[in-house]
Amino acid sequence: MNIGFIGLGLMGRPMAINIARGNHTLHIWARRAASLEPFAQFGAHAHVSAAEVAKHADIVFTCVADTPDVEAVCLGAGGIVESGKRGLVVSDSSTIAPAAARRIGAKLKEHGMAFLDAPVSGGEVGAINATLSFMVGGEETAFEKAKPFYELMGKSVTLVGASGAGQVTKACNQTVVAMTMLAVAEALTFAKKSGVDGAKVREALLGGFANSKILDHHGKKMLERNWKPGFKAWMQQKDLRIVLQSAHDLGLAMPGAAVASQLFNAMVGSGMGEEDNMAVIKLIENLAGIKE
Amino acid sequence: MNLGFIGLGAMGRPMALHLLKAGHALSIYARRPEAARPLTDAGATLCDSPAAVAAASEVVFTIVTSNADVEGVALGERGLIHGAKSGCVLVDMSTIAPGTARHIATRLGERGIEMIDAPVSGGEQGAINATLAIMAGGKTEVLERVRPLLEKLGKTIVYIGPNGAGQVAKACNQMIMVANIQACAEAIQLANASGVEPKRVVTALSGGSAAGRVLELFGGKMAARDFKAGVEARLHHKDFGLLMHEAAALGLAVPVASQVWQQLNALMANGWGNEDTSSLLRVLERGMA
Repeated sequence: MNIGFIGLGLMGRPMAINIARGNHTLHIWARRAASLEPFAQFGAHAHVSAAEVAKHADIVFTCVADTPDVEAVCLGAGGIVESGKRGLVVSDSSTIAPAAARRIGAKLKEHGMAFLDAPVSGGEVGAINATLSFMVGGEETAFEKAKPFYELMGKSVTLVGASGAGQVTKACNQTVVAMTMLAVAEALTFAKKSGVDGAKVREALLGGFANSKILDHHGKKMLERNWKPGFKAWMQQKDLRIVLQSAHDLGLAMPGAAVASQLFNAMVGSGMGEEDNMAVIKLIENLAGIKE
Repeated sequence: MNLGFIGLGAMGRPMALHLLKAGHALSIYARRPEAARPLTDAGATLCDSPAAVAAASEVVFTIVTSNADVEGVALGERGLIHGAKSGCVLVDMSTIAPGTARHIATRLGERGIEMIDAPVSGGEQGAINATLAIMAGGKTEVLERVRPLLEKLGKTIVYIGPNGAGQVAKACNQMIMVANIQACAEAIQLANASGVEPKRVVTALSGGSAAGRVLELFGGKMAARDFKAGVEARLHHKDFGLLMHEAAALGLAVPVASQVWQQLNALMANGWGNEDTSSLLRVLERGMA
């Protein structure tokens, strides 16, 4: 099939490659020409705009950074809306506000296109290994069309509900991830300040109720002082802003997420935005007077 | 002088009346005609658009609710920008984002229209008594031109810095004030839970280091369980949305403000947005149920 892919960054590049490996023809566009180069070997067609991609594709996948980027790609000048055929399915794996996803979906629907909000969890590693989790919002018929492609990119695919429901799920995911990250960082710093071996603490905790993927994977990296980014702090900050803006609009107190968000604000403000979000442990150590 | 006034709510109405009483000619605009009545009765001229107000005025005051409201009044289809003569001054006393204030000032500046962002603190009572604290951003020489007018509205008028600086000061004000209200609520809850009369606690504290206007006013209201609005809590909720957005954009950790924000979210969820922010006490009580 002819598949469009827009947004060939850290996440989008391996996702698109996994679709190409499924023997589909890729139609791609990127703001930076360099992003297109790795796709020559897959016989991908590079286009000059998102609109051109949409013209040639049966389904278009997007994975860009923030709400304005998704809006520009879908609804802006040279955007999908200009040339997508009726019945085109647009699946967006960016993390944006649920309200924005609903707005974009409604606008595309006016032009006969179906929009799926399909954010992912699993990070760059999950994108490379095709083990991402897709949480999808939108209409079932569109979902069924996109599902085989989600399965090329990930291993868990869930239609959660109507338009926006995928982004609501992602916001829930980010809430749990951010707070767990902070909890693991605080616990390991507590151990360190108490003169106890954090590696042993982690090992012991993995056998009990505090077990989690974050304690396992990120806890290990924190102990190894390995800050190589999978998921960058500025992205965590952005996602928490979505969570808290939504909570503001909904009338919902999220005291834990609010505190966590402040630490990710501080990471970005102190020049750590490009580091992995688990480097939040450095802030906790700073506050504890622990020097590296 | 020929003055304009837009935004005749709980704050704007008494402020506009002070300017009329000082002998100035006042052109006004209101989305709801009934809001204009007390002013037209006192001699103000009702116009059909912000542009028409601007055309008749040397200085226009605005005090409306949101970023979008100020943008609409200033730059919208029938906004001030389309009626104001070069040299006209917009004094915006709304609480909005510093970035929005800077943007509006720039757009107006391209047409030779001056702007001062001049948000206020002091509430409805301060507006009625003309005792508001006014924090101004913009050019100093423009502030000096309008200072005699601002003196009819408030008693503390402080130049903070260039456009947007007034709004930054207001954000600081809201952070301190609402966190202080939350602290009062928690203290009164402690008194209540301990079986101690909260009114006496407030009275005793008023003589010590915790004394302050927030304790006196909001603590007093909480102790009396009087939750009728002075300032509607929904406005503080709106302000916290703005200032937390600002903190995130600057990369700042403001942990206490982030908690106060969540309490305000809960206040809104319980339907107390049109009542006083002393309802933060009721949020704490709700959290115990």
